[in-house]
Amino acid sequence: MKVVSMSKVKSLTKKSGAASRVKKVNSSGVGTAVADALIIGAGFAGLGSAIRLRQQGVHNVVILERGTEVGGTWRDNTYPGAACDIPSNLYSYSFAQNPDWSRSFSGSGEILAYIHGLVEQFDLLPLIRFQQNVSAIAFDENDGVWHVQTTQGETHVARSVIMASGPLSNASFPNMPGIEKYQGHKIHSAKWDHSYDFTGKKVAVIGTGASAIQIIPELVKQAESVKVFQRTAGWVLPRPDFVTPDWNKSLFRKMPAAQTAMRNALYWGHEAMALGIIWNTPLTNVVEQVAKAHLHGQVRDPWLRRQLTPHFRIGCKRVLISNDYYPALQQPNCKLITWPIATLCEKGIRCAEGIEHQFDCIVFATGFDVCKSGTPFPVTGLNGRELGEEWKRGSQAYKSASVSGYPNLFFTFGPNSGPGHNSALVYMESQIDYAVKGIRTILDDNLKVLDVRPEAQQRFNRQIQKRLAKTNWNSGCKSWYLTEDGFNATMFPGFATQFASQMKAFLSVDYRIVTA
Amino acid sequence: MASIDLEKMLAKIKNSQWALADIDWEAPGAELITEEQWPKLKAFMSDLMWIEHVGARGFAALAKVAPDDTLREIYTYFHAEEQRHANAEMALMRRWGMLEGDEIPEPNINLRLVIEWLDKYSDDMPLETLGSVIPMLEIALDGALCKFLLDTVKDPVCHQAFEKINDDESRHLGVGFTVLEMQGHGELYKLAIKAAGTLMRPTLILGILSYLPLLNKMRDNIVEMGLPEESLYKVMKKFETIGGRTAEGRRNPWYQIISRHGRVMIDRTNYFYHVPVDAMVKASSYIPKRMLPPIPTWVKELTWNPVA
Ligand SMILES: Cc1cc2nc3c(=O)[nH]c(=O)nc-3n(C[C@H](O)[C@H](O)[C@H](O)COP(=O)(O)OP(=O)(O)OC[C@H]3O[C@@H](n4cnc5c(N)ncnc54)[C@H](O)[C@@H]3O)c2cc1C
Ligand SMILES: [Fe+2]
Ligand SMILES: [Fe+2]
Repeated sequence: MKVVSMSKVKSLTKKSGAASRVKKVNSSGVGTAVADALIIGAGFAGLGSAIRLRQQGVHNVVILERGTEVGGTWRDNTYPGAACDIPSNLYSYSFAQNPDWSRSFSGSGEILAYIHGLVEQFDLLPLIRFQQNVSAIAFDENDGVWHVQTTQGETHVARSVIMASGPLSNASFPNMPGIEKYQGHKIHSAKWDHSYDFTGKKVAVIGTGASAIQIIPELVKQAESVKVFQRTAGWVLPRPDFVTPDWNKSLFRKMPAAQTAMRNALYWGHEAMALGIIWNTPLTNVVEQVAKAHLHGQVRDPWLRRQLTPHFRIGCKRVLISNDYYPALQQPNCKLITWPIATLCEKGIRCAEGIEHQFDCIVFATGFDVCKSGTPFPVTGLNGRELGEEWKRGSQAYKSASVSGYPNLFFTFGPNSGPGHNSALVYMESQIDYAVKGIRTILDDNLKVLDVRPEAQQRFNRQIQKRLAKTNWNSGCKSWYLTEDGFNATMFPGFATQFASQMKAFLSVDYRIVTA
Repeated sequence: MASIDLEKMLAKIKNSQWALADIDWEAPGAELITEEQWPKLKAFMSDLMWIEHVGARGFAALAKVAPDDTLREIYTYFHAEEQRHANAEMALMRRWGMLEGDEIPEPNINLRLVIEWLDKYSDDMPLETLGSVIPMLEIALDGALCKFLLDTVKDPVCHQAFEKINDDESRHLGVGFTVLEMQGHGELYKLAIKAAGTLMRPTLILGILSYLPLLNKMRDNIVEMGLPEESLYKVMKKFETIGGRTAEGRRNPWYQIISRHGRVMIDRTNYFYHVPVDAMVKASSYIPKRMLPPIPTWVKELTWNPVA
């Protein structure tokens, strides 16, 4: 695979203002180089941040990655059928388009290869410290630096930090009653066990979300029987998936402008969907009708159709995209179970209808541990403030990127940055560019502290919560977008275009600064 | 009955789940069924098991119209629990040698009609109608028939199973009456107008036409079993007493309609009611099987086997 870069971004490259300093700050007393920017995580966001930082002349960059490989989501989610559900031409970086996508929605292997291609092309490997699991970060006001600790016992020091640890990077077996009693094989979708042979096995899949609907059609081809345990039926839209013809690839290779045009068309197509998905508009009804027609066309039995009909407005939860999920459910060796799960037991799953369903293997496609309230590790700001404590009732930030009291720290996929209808990478690009502007300001003006003003953050959040109240996410269904109290700390209420314009301006008046 | 906290109820429901595998279906005691009892019991159990399905299908419809996630989840559990009751009753029938192989008992024609109606139309019925009718059905048929059974059958395994079933039923009733009261909030005339509108729906009229003969038919079955029909009436009165305990309950027009009908139903001297309804029972027995639509596919989910 080859990644084509746009040469014009290189011309933007500036010289770093403040040179890196060396200081003795390590608790173990060892001299440590102070990085200009430290990035936590080597997924799409972390690597993209490093690329953009360097393009803007920030070269003294360190990436800490807890794994042994780059790729984040696409390194971890290798279950059969794993693929993106936003067309690859849009689910890739605009500054590194790939003419060679083999299909409109590429599989996880191909996306991971694209990420490896980024590392190679932009020569990122020297920046990455693998197997460094960040366990705590704390800001030192006197020196204007973050101290970053890892479980491996290292302390890294940096003038700025980008949190790119991923919105969906932590997965664990759910806390279901009786899970500790189950003696058969257990697999989590985000940690697939490729050594397990499903041939001739009785398999359960718990969950019917984005991962499950990709896994099920593949398992049905292999396993003796597959029972799918559904709690809530989701909206499923048809997926216009096709193999990219060779002429198309060579066109994109010879004429990158054609690919950009395609990308733009896809972008605006998804933007239009926002009208139906984010807010309740006449288009919402149209999109629901399309989904219902899809269900009707693929499922003939009225009872099964009833079981698969969602009870909430489209867009309230993540919209699913699939052509082969419904047909897979109707294979003779597959069965949809909608009885509530009462408990797991030694040999399988007992449901409320009183029957024990026995399995050789249970696949948990139960999603991720999403940080809607709290932080994945302790984050200590000015005067010992604890971010996890402040975010207990739901997280909030300024433009999703900065949090008052935690200077020189930038988030990717921070509070209210999630896309419901468009590519995460489109959002990510604006978040990254915002962080880069902030970090450039710190270095250019030689700042110790760049801290967003509390009033600015409050003003921003009042507005955003007001806008959220009018969206489908807040229309009354439970989803992982909301906290237990129904507070929406995850999604951005608007078009990707609006998000981009929000992130475009770096308003220094909204920040308090202390020069070094 | 003061309204219960539905969140707490849901937690309680989740903590009170049981499975067929909790019962030893091979334990001694099956021989306590007398030869004389056997054929009547078989007919009774077949009906009972299908009555569980009237409740099941009703709860499934209620889950669709539930106004919030908590009530929806409660109804989803209740739907499954009625299926569990049917499964357990089939396990009893199998224990007593009333089922061969994968055979599923035949429902009587009146039950078939009611289930058919529920399958076709109940998803479109408003919460206040279904939410008021279901407690009545639960009291009169589901809850009560189970109790009658225990008076006549000595098999300890049967008692063990019905102890669990009745425990579930008490929660169904608790929620049922709470919802009945919830639906009595609001201005009376608006409630009445809405009820009148629903009553005039042809689909509901069809439902009533299948519901009335079912009650009379079950009364006949109970008499057939050698039980006094008064015990059925006693439980039907319970609906009136419990449902009418609060002002909200009494303001629910559906409560008024159903409890009044109950009074008529238990008055055997009301020939204006019983002659035509008994005639309907009789008439329905002539409906040829081939005229009935195919059995819905959810029926295939029924099983006496504790493991699958
Ligand atoms: C199965 C699946 C399919 C998806 N499909 C789509 C799609 O089609 N379209 C779309 O727009 N989005 C999709 N997403 C969302 C996806 O998460 C984002 O698009 C994107 O991959 C997120 O990238 P990231 O770099 O922010 O996070 P990640 O890819 O999760 O990377 C985070 C990295 O940080 C590392 N890390 C985490 N914590 C620490 C720590 N404490 N110390 C050190 N390192 C740490 C992790 O190991 C990981 O490598 C999908 C997500 C999943 C799970
Ligand atoms: Fe029951
Ligand atoms: Fe019941």
